[in-house]
Amino acid sequence: MSRKRVLIHVVAWSIALIWIIPYLGVFIASVRPYSEIVDGWWNLHPFTLTLDSYSAVWNHKTYPLKRAFVNSILIAIPATIIPILVASLAAYSFARFSFPVKDMLFLTIVALMSLPQQVVIIPVFFLMSDMGLINTRLGLILLHSSFGLPWIILFLRNFFMTLPVEVEEAARIDGASDFQVYFRIVMPMSLPALASIAALQFNWVWNDFFFALILLLSPDKYVVTQTIPMFIGRYLISWDKVAAASILDMSVPLVVFALLQKWYVKGVVGGVIKG
Amino acid sequence: MARVVVRNLTKKFGNVTAVNRLTLDVRDGEFVVLLGPSGCGKTTTLRCIAGLEAPDEGEIYIGDKLVNELPPKDRNIAMVFQSYALYPHMKVYDNIAFPLKMRKYPKSEIDRRVREVARLLKIEELLDRKPKQLSGGQQQRVALGRALVREPDVFLMDEPLSNLDAKLRVYMRAELKRLQRELKVTTIYVTHDQVEAMTMADRIAVMNNGVLQQYAEASEIYSRPSTVFVAGFIGSPPMNFIECTLVEEQGEAYLDAGAFRYKLSEEQAKLVREKASSSELLLGVRPEHITLHLKPVEEGIKGRVYVVEPLGAELIVNVKIGESILKVKTPVHGELKVDQEVWVSFNRDRVYIFDKRTEESII
Amino acid sequence: MRRHRTPLLFLAPALAMLLLFVIYPFVYTVCGSFLKWKGRSIVGVAGVSNYQRVLGSSDILNVRRLLKLKGPPLGALVHNLLWILIQVPLSTALGLLLAVLLRDVKGGVVIKSVIFLGMVIPMVVGGILLRFIYDAHAGVVNAVIRLIGLGKYAKTWTAHPDTALYSLIVGSVWIWTGFSMVLYSAGLESIPKEIFEAARIDGASGFRIFWHITVPMLRPITIVVLTMSVLWALKVFDIVFVATRGGPGGASSVLALEMYFRAFYHMPPDYGAAMAIVTILTLMTLGFAVYVFRLVVK
Repeated sequence: MSRKRVLIHVVAWSIALIWIIPYLGVFIASVRPYSEIVDGWWNLHPFTLTLDSYSAVWNHKTYPLKRAFVNSILIAIPATIIPILVASLAAYSFARFSFPVKDMLFLTIVALMSLPQQVVIIPVFFLMSDMGLINTRLGLILLHSSFGLPWIILFLRNFFMTLPVEVEEAARIDGASDFQVYFRIVMPMSLPALASIAALQFNWVWNDFFFALILLLSPDKYVVTQTIPMFIGRYLISWDKVAAASILDMSVPLVVFALLQKWYVKGVVGGVIKG
Repeated sequence: MARVVVRNLTKKFGNVTAVNRLTLDVRDGEFVVLLGPSGCGKTTTLRCIAGLEAPDEGEIYIGDKLVNELPPKDRNIAMVFQSYALYPHMKVYDNIAFPLKMRKYPKSEIDRRVREVARLLKIEELLDRKPKQLSGGQQQRVALGRALVREPDVFLMDEPLSNLDAKLRVYMRAELKRLQRELKVTTIYVTHDQVEAMTMADRIAVMNNGVLQQYAEASEIYSRPSTVFVAGFIGSPPMNFIECTLVEEQGEAYLDAGAFRYKLSEEQAKLVREKASSSELLLGVRPEHITLHLKPVEEGIKGRVYVVEPLGAELIVNVKIGESILKVKTPVHGELKVDQEVWVSFNRDRVYIFDKRTEESII
Repeated sequence: MRRHRTPLLFLAPALAMLLLFVIYPFVYTVCGSFLKWKGRSIVGVAGVSNYQRVLGSSDILNVRRLLKLKGPPLGALVHNLLWILIQVPLSTALGLLLAVLLRDVKGGVVIKSVIFLGMVIPMVVGGILLRFIYDAHAGVVNAVIRLIGLGKYAKTWTAHPDTALYSLIVGSVWIWTGFSMVLYSAGLESIPKEIFEAARIDGASGFRIFWHITVPMLRPITIVVLTMSVLWALKVFDIVFVATRGGPGGASSVLALEMYFRAFYHMPPDYGAAMAIVTILTLMTLGFAVYVFRLVVK
């Protein structure tokens, strides 16, 4: 290696170190007792390995992460499946059919992507109160499903347009109805795209904090992200427990990312770079 | 089995008229080829018959039923696409079974038919594979199988052989023809390849710019082209056209091409006088109907060798006469040198004359 | 007509959900910002008085301190703008440099994945991580400061008005650089290799290739990265909520947080003001999105 190449490698790995240290710190803090890390997790003497913090937050009296995990999962899974089904139908319509005001409608839906969550939340709060959906998982599922629609529609419509239309025409001639063409031909052909979307939407819902903060009020309904700040005291922060809770919280999206990395990045990049 | 009738079909895409008042009658069991260059409207016509496009005007009948308002699945047709359009996520077996499944055939019947078709097409050992694992020729057979399995009234084929390599294409051409003969299913076949059309079709419909030019048997299309377009499109190398004017001198009629004059026979002259809209004409002669001479002959036209293209047993000699170039197909002819003087004569019975303005055939 | 029934059927569920939970609430909020509220009830038309109230509040726009050119708290609106001005250029440029640099590095793929993690983890955890590294005792930032002999400056950076906002902004660069880097990496892959080879044969140096070929060819990516980053910087909420709750004394507050306080934290809620704040926020995001869109269309 030339001297320049060595230099590049040193710089690159130093940058990598800067990026990894906070994760490393939080991980080490989560597996050691509070007394050992309160003045720095990098002091390695004494070093006691313990999972006490994990069991403490997992079985916490008021905010058990165990329950929060169940809540998060019960919300994130339906809030991934529903919008994919609903949005893919709409996306197919935009990709394959022609109808009046199609372009305008599509642009409007794309524009909705830039709306901040905050702009809908007050009326949604009123609406959910009136429908008795405050403090219910169903309310949050509906909201997440709706809010996820625009980007899924955009992404899938772009994907559907790359599929060969002859295959769908062949199916129609072979006797399939519009719905059969969609469910038996288009959906199975779109599995890679659906994997990208499922990974991103699931993580998006799992990671959301704001909607849950407003709509879920009682601790037994809290999702994981909502529970984390509860471990931060006003004056004293038990870093061991906060760290353990954070590790548990991020482990789920990290696993999704690790399993579907290729599709995940495609999803982030998707629609942005065409040809 | 059914006949197909297309009456006054018109289809527009925005400002472009893809098909213009097309009328076509396909007999029960007939093999008809729609032939023309790309963009001539042949594929659009086929898609209208399939129900994939809605006609703007005109009627389409399959059997004796008006099908304009019927969706593709209710027309009892089968179609083979240029790209084959196999379902990539299904095994070959399920690809072929799909049309039957959609029509809710009983499982045992589906199985029986799929295996029968697979045997017919010699793809039995491929039934468990996915389309991606097949060669182009095998995919083509699967696409055929999917079309055959339902025993439809009409086969529609959109350039089904054009993605195959040359050798396989020739083989499949014969295969397809044999199958069609055997099954006696009415077939409408789109291609831009005149050899395919000539060898397979009972009748050929030549199209250009959305308009039907001529609809007849292959031999008729070759020997009696009805327009300049048909004459130029069929035949390889294509027919020579020479612009000329009708001149009358002392009771005799000549075609004056500038560099030479071609004397019309009594009969020819009579037809020209009757049918031509003006004295502006096109003289057409196929390269294979011109004889090349190394010495002057009676009625011979003098020219010079421009280029020689050897084809093995035959030669295409480009002869420069005045400003125009005539292609002449001739058996190998000793040694021809560029710029050498030669004489050509036309086979009188095979000379065509077209009206330059209307582009229609006179003789 | 039969042909229009299917598209309508396919679209109906999506349209119904969007109408009920996105479009109707959005319109409601914009209209509500011009009304007078008492609790959940509308008690009259407010005209622009909600906006006057909001923009006149030092939580949103601290004119007094701005005029004296003092540090934060300067008001949430100004904080959001500072966030855009600092974080967006930094994370965009850093992402580009990393994308180019890591292309030729052994293990570059691993490093990229690590940097991208900021986009994978919950922002709440991102906020925790920032609060953690800036902690006076347990934080690694102060350890480094002590290590290089500046120990007297060690403190909880997020707990002091003059540093809270800036430390969060710098931290958000750490979180968001992964996005720009991944997009630029994909963009770099889509540039044909021959172009770089041609440039090298033409005698261009590494830096010139970067500046005259790489950067211009990545312009579409840059537009997307800038747009998304600006939108995120405007909507930032979780990080601030978890790390500082906008404190101390509003020194790190942002618009989304101010809206939350007014509608869902303080009692009684002030929906008029909250809706005005979020309408201002949305106007900025939509306005920016439209501006960029036109830039791209040109």
